[in-house]
Amino acid sequence: MNKAIGRLFVIGAVLFAALIVNLTWIMAVRADWYAERPENRRALAEELKIKRGVITGFDGSVIAASRRRSGYYAREYPQGALAPQLVGYSSVRYGRSGIERKLNGELTGQTSALSLENWADRLLGRRPEGAAVKLTLVPAVQRAAQQALKGQKGAIVVLDPKTGALIASASAPTFDPADLEDSWERLSQDANAPLLNRATQGLYTPGSAFKVVTAASGLDNGKVTPDAAFVDTGTYVVFGGKVTNYGGEVYGPNDFTTALTYSINTTFGKVGNLLGRKRLISSMERFGFYKTPPLPLPQGEVLPSGRYDEKGILAPDAFMDPLAVAWAACGQEQVLATPLQMALVAAAVANGGRIMEPYYLQEVVAASGNVLQKAQPRQWLVAMKPATALELNAMMQRVVNVGTGTAAALEGIQVAGKTGTAERGDGSNLAWFIAFAPADDPQVAIAVVIEDTQSTGGEAAAPLAAAVIRTALAQPELP
Amino acid sequence: MSRRNLELVFLAVAAVVSTMAYVSVYAGRYHEVNRVSLIYGLVFAGVFVGLHLLLRVVLPQADAFLLPITALLAAIGLAEIFRIRPALALLQGQWLLVGAGLFVLTVLLVRDHMKLDRYRYIMGALGLGLLVLTIVLGTTINGSKLWIRAFGFSIQPSEFAKLAIVIFLAGYLNDKRLLLSVPTRHVLGVPVPATKYFGPLLVMWVLSLAMLVFMKDFGMSLLFMAIFVALMYMATSRIVYVILGGGLFAAAAALSVMIVPHVQDRFNVWLDPWPHASTTGYQLLQSLFTIADGGLLGAGLGRGFLLYSNRQPVVPDLQTDFIFAALANETGLLGAVAVVLLLLLFVWRGFHIAVWAPDGFSKLLAAGLAVAFGLQTFIILGGVTRMIPLTGITLPFMSYGGSSIVANLALVALLLMISHRTYVVRQGTDLQRRRLAERG
Repeated sequence: MNKAIGRLFVIGAVLFAALIVNLTWIMAVRADWYAERPENRRALAEELKIKRGVITGFDGSVIAASRRRSGYYAREYPQGALAPQLVGYSSVRYGRSGIERKLNGELTGQTSALSLENWADRLLGRRPEGAAVKLTLVPAVQRAAQQALKGQKGAIVVLDPKTGALIASASAPTFDPADLEDSWERLSQDANAPLLNRATQGLYTPGSAFKVVTAASGLDNGKVTPDAAFVDTGTYVVFGGKVTNYGGEVYGPNDFTTALTYSINTTFGKVGNLLGRKRLISSMERFGFYKTPPLPLPQGEVLPSGRYDEKGILAPDAFMDPLAVAWAACGQEQVLATPLQMALVAAAVANGGRIMEPYYLQEVVAASGNVLQKAQPRQWLVAMKPATALELNAMMQRVVNVGTGTAAALEGIQVAGKTGTAERGDGSNLAWFIAFAPADDPQVAIAVVIEDTQSTGGEAAAPLAAAVIRTALAQPELP
Repeated sequence: MSRRNLELVFLAVAAVVSTMAYVSVYAGRYHEVNRVSLIYGLVFAGVFVGLHLLLRVVLPQADAFLLPITALLAAIGLAEIFRIRPALALLQGQWLLVGAGLFVLTVLLVRDHMKLDRYRYIMGALGLGLLVLTIVLGTTINGSKLWIRAFGFSIQPSEFAKLAIVIFLAGYLNDKRLLLSVPTRHVLGVPVPATKYFGPLLVMWVLSLAMLVFMKDFGMSLLFMAIFVALMYMATSRIVYVILGGGLFAAAAALSVMIVPHVQDRFNVWLDPWPHASTTGYQLLQSLFTIADGGLLGAGLGRGFLLYSNRQPVVPDLQTDFIFAALANETGLLGAVAVVLLLLLFVWRGFHIAVWAPDGFSKLLAAGLAVAFGLQTFIILGGVTRMIPLTGITLPFMSYGGSSIVANLALVALLLMISHRTYVVRQGTDLQRRRLAERG
């Protein structure tokens, strides 16, 4: 019996020896390999020992700050869920997103601009501290935008058309970054995608809001003037198909300004074919379609607008028949746009045709107080001639004064805008409103989109735009 | 030096190491060292010195290594549990006291393990009953039905059933071993003993199969089957039982991988965890990352990265099944290997006691307990390091879990009794032998 017992012990000892060999393999030989696996987020934990820089709004109020808890710094959000999709999160378990990810180097004090100060810190045995990041985001306006979206799905983007500064960027439904780690499972599986930044990642059919682009193209190319005459019979038959008006309306004789005021599809379909595919698409490109807007966010968090099929964005020179051109001119067909892109369309008209590079970073200040980086507005594109912009400005004022966008009118402030209502197959609408104000000296450009509504852009989106514009223009200072 | 004095010296070393471990964890958490952190070490040492004193009186010639190893493993485990979740450490400390109580009761009431041989069928029925009870009344946690909820506690009866079944098998196989080792007929050219004696093997196979199917727990099922096969082999010295038992179990295992989704997941993750990195493979990969991060020396107890900022552990179930990953992370390869060697030392003492024991029952009992302890250790350590498919099972003395620590302390008591009796029978004075006989 002892022989068998002895044999069994030898087997046991061999198994334990195998455990030790395996442990050595994992902990000594392959330790670095495991450390570098993308699935391994432990390296992020090391950065948790660094005091991450504070993120403040344009008014200096704190949006995200780090506080030490049992040896590690944890992110706190004194203003609650303020632009969580844009600001992003910084979680050891789920990684980083948004600004927290894009500016991680600055926030952890690891960029080259900070290395000299870091070196001094190390010499003195101090832990490096991250730099503070000040955003162009104005918390009061951001809150107004989030409030406007409450209980709905959609997004609001507010820009300064003269500089490109992002004043507000709201996406609903939203989430609370403070308990991200506890609610991740629910958030990531929620069919309403609260983690998605609809402002820059949401691709929507722009509908009639897109007519601003078609109008700019028509005026710029000399194919149409604001008082060019058209006759609407309720249908525009082209290439074996037809273009009809929203709600089956028939407008009779109309000029081009009226066509924009009441959003007459047949007229815009005709203008689309007066222009042809090439001119329409090249105007879209001049507005920023087919390009990723240069808002500095991580890869994939800003999507380009343009014509899409199931596989993704189509090439600008993809074939379109005249029916497709007519519907595309009305913002239908395969055209998709992000709220950011549509805000840039409004901003282009507001800024005399020139589109500024959108940005959110006001300044970066090192822990020592040195300003490392300061916002410098730069021109991105020229969408149209200044004269065209002036004509469109007047036309868009009429939309708000007497047309489909009267719900956006404000006491004492002239708003210029354009509504959009995209009908989805399931009976619900996508409601749009893009605008800028005040019309004679634009301070803000805005895009509002509401998903899954029974109302039109003029009913569902225009009043929200008005509320946000009023709040924005009441601010003592905008970027 | 007498065995008890040697034990006391070892215990003193264990007390110093465990106090250091706790102070390190305490300092890592609260950034200070105070009386509370030292008192902990003293109370802990007090419990084990109490057990030591009991042994001095009742089992003076018992093995000198087992109690200090137990104390050291329990202390390190407790420090690590405190590190992960202080509230649980308090509960675990209470369970340790309950275990110490059962240890005292076992030693005082049983005194001589030979008595247990007489109750072998009761033990067998008890073990079987506990398992059936679990299957009928059990609650499913983490996909396995291993727990019974009663009086606000979660009890894991299989930990106790393990002991009862080892006692039963040791008695039964010792009795029938000659019959079992004589083949009476041949099946396909393989000599096979009479069906009558072959029966228990099938019963045991059906039992572990039932555990696999009803409890969905591969680890416990493997443990029971392996204990049985190992005891059959030791009792008969016939390798055919190992091959037969292994084959039958492999067949059952292959079948369960195919039909039980929970087991299938575990198996797939073991083969290749990377595609399942955020789902079923998350736990295993985080365990590997945590272990690999330990490096050679680790950051020190209480200083590794084991908790997220919301106090959730980096590996789910870190304080129970994955306590070894936490330990490896904080004490490095050096600490991890030291603990593996400590566990092996425990197993070695068990086999040592078996080899020296004067009779078949004691030999099979001691070896059976050593196999149960060693295999359980191997299953969980192999699981968290991806040597074998992961199955949830506790690491003896170290994992958080009341049933595990209580049952394993009783296991230590049994091994100590066997070693004491061996000495008395082989080398004791006439007086000692007479006393032993009177008590029996």
